[in-house]
Amino acid sequence: MSESRVVGAVEIGTSKVVVLLGEIIGDEGLNIIGHSIGSSIGVKKGVIQDLSAASDCVHAAIMKAEKNAQSRIDEVYLAQTGSHLMGNFNVGTTNVSSSDNIVRGIDINQAKEDAKRRKLPPNRTYIHHIQNPFALDGQPVDNPLSREGRQLQVGYWSVHGESAKVSDSIRVIRGIDLDVSDMIISSIASGAVLLEDAEKDNGALVIDIGGGTTDYVLYREGYIVKTGVVPVGGDHITNDLSIGLRLGRKSAEEFKIEHGRAYYDSADRDVKVWLYGDLTIGDREYPLAAITKIIDARVSEIFAIIKEQLENAELYNPADIACGVVLTGGSSQLTGIEESVRRNLGLEARVFDGPLDVAAELRHPGYSTALGLLHYALTGQEDRQKSAKPASILRKLTGLLNFD
Amino acid sequence: MDTTNESLTTPQSTTDELKIKIIGVGGAGTNAVDGLVLDDFGGTGNVQLAAINTDAQALAHSRVAEKLVIGRSVTRGLGAGGEIEIGKKAAEADRDAIAALVGEMDLIILVVGLGGGTGSAVASIVAEVAAKTQALVLAFATLPFSFEGSRRKHIAEESIGELRQLVHGLIPLPNDILLQEGEEDTSVLNAFAVADRWIGRGVNSLCAMLLKTGLINQDISSIRSVFRDRGGRTIFGTGAASGGDYVSDALEDLFICPLLHMGDRPAQLDRILVNIVGGTDLAIARVNEVMSLLSKRFNSRDDIVFGAVIDESRSASLEICVLGKAGIEGSPPARRSAPAADPSVVPLEGLNLQPEIAQDDRPPRPVHQSKLRESKKNPEVDQEEFLFVDDNVQRGYFDKTDRNLYNDEDLDVPTFMRRGIKIKIKSS
Repeated sequence: MSESRVVGAVEIGTSKVVVLLGEIIGDEGLNIIGHSIGSSIGVKKGVIQDLSAASDCVHAAIMKAEKNAQSRIDEVYLAQTGSHLMGNFNVGTTNVSSSDNIVRGIDINQAKEDAKRRKLPPNRTYIHHIQNPFALDGQPVDNPLSREGRQLQVGYWSVHGESAKVSDSIRVIRGIDLDVSDMIISSIASGAVLLEDAEKDNGALVIDIGGGTTDYVLYREGYIVKTGVVPVGGDHITNDLSIGLRLGRKSAEEFKIEHGRAYYDSADRDVKVWLYGDLTIGDREYPLAAITKIIDARVSEIFAIIKEQLENAELYNPADIACGVVLTGGSSQLTGIEESVRRNLGLEARVFDGPLDVAAELRHPGYSTALGLLHYALTGQEDRQKSAKPASILRKLTGLLNFD
Repeated sequence: MDTTNESLTTPQSTTDELKIKIIGVGGAGTNAVDGLVLDDFGGTGNVQLAAINTDAQALAHSRVAEKLVIGRSVTRGLGAGGEIEIGKKAAEADRDAIAALVGEMDLIILVVGLGGGTGSAVASIVAEVAAKTQALVLAFATLPFSFEGSRRKHIAEESIGELRQLVHGLIPLPNDILLQEGEEDTSVLNAFAVADRWIGRGVNSLCAMLLKTGLINQDISSIRSVFRDRGGRTIFGTGAASGGDYVSDALEDLFICPLLHMGDRPAQLDRILVNIVGGTDLAIARVNEVMSLLSKRFNSRDDIVFGAVIDESRSASLEICVLGKAGIEGSPPARRSAPAADPSVVPLEGLNLQPEIAQDDRPPRPVHQSKLRESKKNPEVDQEEFLFVDDNVQRGYFDKTDRNLYNDEDLDVPTFMRRGIKIKIKSS
């Protein structure tokens, strides 16, 4: 049976809105049939501040992509980010029920339910429950079914967000009369396309540095063990430059792209750069050191925060992150970003240059989250990470919306 | 409570002698006043210096003429030791002595370093006492470096909220930002001296404006008109240059003044006071040029008060000092002099701009206003439109978003400032 549906992957970012249209034919595969990138207005630090401005941008981008694909979207997969996203690790425990101590399906479900039962404050909603390995009497096992043991445990990394902020983004999509089928946090979406299975097994850290947030996901032994959002991104670098060099945002942004480097080098003291470089009135010379020092401080801080969060979770162990850091997101284009990772995280780094099986124009770090969304649309939640979706979440949030 | 403070816009001082008192509060404030080099006002008797501290020994070393040790009964003259409660008790115990020291002045300038025990607690009480007199009260308050720790920062933020409601103009001087001035290898100790130098520039410019005759004279009533309401936000910036094209250079220096580029700078100033001090060779045409440039630059809608003073001892040099007032909270008059009930409701960031300030009680117009009129053809244009008019108005980009707190630091504030990393932007 080859029924086809058109899935729209939508990422409402701080600096841009990315829409990818994928046609899924049966269970076979996916064709990317349309794409668009629009500027984003009304979003700061990954969170929608101005609903109507953001809606206009998203609707324009969706329509552009639909026109580009000459097709209509059936359902939307939506990325989520912002500092309101938080996670906790919960362990579910159950005693094996049968008298012969052989683990049955019912025990597995019992352990899973136990892990997910932690209640959230009323204003927060679970977005993901990501399963981690089972342990049978303290021994890690991949699949405990039919194994013998007394006590079964399973860990879950659960991600939750502020209901109001999550429903704002759904509201934007529903405003154009589309349904949100699923929501996936940006870091997990990016990680899905950036890493090979072998890399997930050996341990890898994906860092997606966007305009307003830096999202990361840590894989260990094939499982997602931690995700996080640092609400700092390229916008902050621009703002820092603008304040430090006392320039307008536009000039600061140009400086960042033109001359920016993620780390400071003492040789920068002797290098001068021109503001406009066109001999117009008001053109000024700046020491390159001023630019690189400002960026170095900011970028180092982002990585230091990630390192600190991993250390606090007792997950910062370079040996367990053997495949190092994979960088993506618009701000990963910053020169010298790999070197900054080396200095601050003590890990090797590479900038993701796009999966080879997509068109060249989509092999830009800005697309990785949207590609990841399509990946999930294709594989569902039956991925290796077994990221189980709380079934009621969409219905629950939809209930918050009042369109009548 | 007092009701006298409401008659501020009508200066009642009938004598010709203008009386200005500069009061240093606490250790840092006393040091700043101590180091104040008053160009040549010291001898005139118009400007008096005073210092208030809980630490008798520190005060003994001060060269300031009028000294007041407060809270001997509380601290035995040993200082507040960074404890704000001790500072408060000390000041309460000696309210009368503070009132005597404040006296009857036309202008009182408080100088205080916030974050410690004495300055943070005592400044608002001195301001409260001063508010009961006829004096116009301005305050220069330095804020601690981020790396001095979050405790000092919290104390400073609370006190600044309290103090802001009590004085006519509060000029915050964050040490993080001041560090950006001066030489690249400025050590922290020098950085404290940098703050004092800024205060000195501001104080001198104000005194010069009031006490010296010039091309464009401004008196205390023009300053009162700018600072006619308590509360609200004050911005302060200076620029200076000499030799060569000193007019352009001084403007340039002013425009890159770090205090004018703080993240939380208001987009729109309601009233601006500009004073320029030049040498004998400063032509009126250049003054006009500076004025029209500045009024465009600061987008001030209505009220710009310009002063231009000639200093006979200078030549080929120019100093510009800008004081602006924005976001005046329209609190009911009865409550104005009362201390803010809960300092936490007056946060340091996120000021509440209220563009609909009453326009009826306009201050005296500046002498030269033809150029100003030209630059604002459409006074009805609303605030949002102004933001698009001038890209250079560097409004804090993250102003309206939630504060981005991580380990007690606001991540939206540039990292280099929080870490005290000095950025040298002048290439030479």
